[in-house]
Amino acid sequence: MELILQQMPVVLKALNVGFLQTLKLFFVTGLGAIPLGLVIAFGSMSRFKPLSWLTRLVVWVVRGTPLMIQLLIIFYFPGMVLGKNIWGSGEAGRFTASAIAFIFNYACYFSEIYRGGIQSIPAGQQEAGLVLGMTKSQIFFRVTLLQVIKRIVPPMSNEVITLVKDTALARIIALQEIIWAGQAFLKGSHGISGAIWPLFFTAVYYLVFNGIVTVALGRLEKRLDYFR
Amino acid sequence: MVILDVKDIRKSFGQTEVLKGISLSLGKGQVLSLIGSSGSGKTTLLRCLNFLETPDAGSIAVNGEVLFDAADPATQREADIRRKRLHFGLVFQSFNLFPQYTALQNVTLAGRLLAKQEPDFSSRKKQIYRDIDDRARHLLEQMGLADRMGNYPHQLSGGQQQRVAIARALALQPDILCFDEPTSALDPELTQEVLRVIRGLAEKQTTMIIVTHEIAFARDVSTQVAFMDGGVVVEQGPPEQVIGAPVQERTRRFLESYTSS
Amino acid sequence: MKKIISLTLAALMLLSMSVFALADEAESDMAYVQDKGTLVVGITEFDPMDYKDEDGEWIGFDADMAKAFAESLGVDVEFVEIEWDNKVLELDAKTIDVVWNGMTLNDEVLEAMECSNAYCNNAQTVILPADVAGDYETAEDMADLLFAVEAGSAGEDEVEALGYATTPVQTQADALLEVSAGTSDAAVIDLLMAAAMVGEGTGYEDLVNTVNLNSEEYGVGFRKGSDLAQALNDFFLASYEDGTMEEIAETYGVQASLIDQTELAEEAADASAADAEAADAEAAE
Repeated sequence: MELILQQMPVVLKALNVGFLQTLKLFFVTGLGAIPLGLVIAFGSMSRFKPLSWLTRLVVWVVRGTPLMIQLLIIFYFPGMVLGKNIWGSGEAGRFTASAIAFIFNYACYFSEIYRGGIQSIPAGQQEAGLVLGMTKSQIFFRVTLLQVIKRIVPPMSNEVITLVKDTALARIIALQEIIWAGQAFLKGSHGISGAIWPLFFTAVYYLVFNGIVTVALGRLEKRLDYFR
Repeated sequence: MVILDVKDIRKSFGQTEVLKGISLSLGKGQVLSLIGSSGSGKTTLLRCLNFLETPDAGSIAVNGEVLFDAADPATQREADIRRKRLHFGLVFQSFNLFPQYTALQNVTLAGRLLAKQEPDFSSRKKQIYRDIDDRARHLLEQMGLADRMGNYPHQLSGGQQQRVAIARALALQPDILCFDEPTSALDPELTQEVLRVIRGLAEKQTTMIIVTHEIAFARDVSTQVAFMDGGVVVEQGPPEQVIGAPVQERTRRFLESYTSS
Repeated sequence: MKKIISLTLAALMLLSMSVFALADEAESDMAYVQDKGTLVVGITEFDPMDYKDEDGEWIGFDADMAKAFAESLGVDVEFVEIEWDNKVLELDAKTIDVVWNGMTLNDEVLEAMECSNAYCNNAQTVILPADVAGDYETAEDMADLLFAVEAGSAGEDEVEALGYATTPVQTQADALLEVSAGTSDAAVIDLLMAAAMVGEGTGYEDLVNTVNLNSEEYGVGFRKGSDLAQALNDFFLASYEDGTMEEIAETYGVQASLIDQTELAEEAADASAADAEAADAEAAE
């Protein structure tokens, strides 16, 4: 116990650095995947059949394969084919590759949630808008969108909480997120080696952060409670 | 004075021909009730008038302006349809109110959006919005909903929701107001409050087309009744004739089945 | 429609073929590195070979040697932490240029990479809890134990050669954790690492290293076919002879394990002379 207290300041400093990387990946993925998912959802619902088939095929492949494999392919494959590293060196390159893999993967999951949400809105809403002389985009943004959001908040919350934990997968391409930072003390880092508790302690970070996310999403759900 | 002139409308879904050449005309201030069993094409006809379906053949003219002619592609431009729709209002069987807006907002939403196209919108924005709101309040008061304007649809009864929907349709001042089985989703006592509102509109000479199963009501408020069966108008005329003394065998059988059940 | 699809497919195939053709264009790896001006060194944190000082600067015997080698090439050096399992992938994808991290020269490594001469001696050593270590004097005594080993490591090979039970884990540090937590009876890790990580004054004071299962050597790995391996051999020889290698080794306490580069060079020269003689003899016949 005394040893742990002694190591605490050094460990927390390193874990914070790793957690910052985790947070960065989480927010970049959210900012990228939430709009991209909408584009993919519209692609898969397109009346132009080849586009809709192609989109659904891509979504099927991305959802049907592990994110870990996608990370490995996205990071390593270009260099093998092109003979040069397209990601830029150092951790920044690894972050870029991770972010792209995560955004694309999560956009595909989000797109299916969006599609379900959009298709669950009764056709009568669209028709009511049309006979009132509204344009399609007015109907989408003024009528349908908020109803879709209300319906997708619960399934999206699940995905977002999964995302918080999934960021740990990026360590497969050596992105130094919080679990990497915790594990470093096992191998020896900052003059501490063979310490397991920092790795276990990373769980606290995830728990606290997921608690905040859960409360925030619960608030959003509640704010949309005023209509049915 | 003829306000609506529909000629030989035909519409098929796949192999099924739902409308087999419907022609109608309606004078200003008249009320036309469409009666007939389910699947006779009444609802499809209403949807064609509101441009929710595109007829395969025929033409639709309002106030002498040809809004749609299957033979003339110039009348089918997507961009114009939105404006043409505004000649008609439509009240749905399932109300289709926008759940995230209050009763008042449901009535004003489309008007506010349309107002943005006015040339003097930016300079008179406040005034325009105030006019739209005042008019909407007035309509809701007429519907007996003065104390319900701030309620969301799920806080209203079915009859109240349908009355909001009627106010919403009236807010855009359509030439012809269409009802698609407006009381079919309602309990009997709620039905009466909606029928009362529609009757009030008829008394004020509102031009209406009503698809309904309420035969007694149709007889009461209509100036014209058309009986449809199998995609054609079998019999059309004043209510006392079509409902009171039908000439056609099919009409008689339909009315008998209704009064006996 | 069909026509468009087949045209698109054909275009895609052409594109990917030309991309692969580009990749095949052989170029000197040295020229490639000098052209971009940076030698990217793939490492894991591994005291005393590669680790960070208080300022976050990478130091250690391997790190310092890598800096000196990069300087001799006239390029900058950049250290990148990698996932050890992916080291060959990293080289092939050109996300790193060299693996320089106390890497044991075994068959798999020699197969997959262009390796330098050995520069450091090492062994796979058995780690046991200090309180039971006295019961096991030789490898034969340990037949009943469950060994935690790093998956794909030289240690795993050694234990499997003995026919004892293993639990493969992700890293050597995880193997130590297994013993410490009691989930495995023993661990097999690098002797150089054991020196830094178990015993008095380390994180695992209740563990000790006991029997060495083998002896082995560390080398540096480049992309298959890279001309940098030969350049490094020349650099090793030069820095061994002028004493800089010894000097750096002393800084990190590994001087006792250094391998005589002059000897290696002479052996290599003898071997090639023998080859030449054999070739001459063949020609004479």
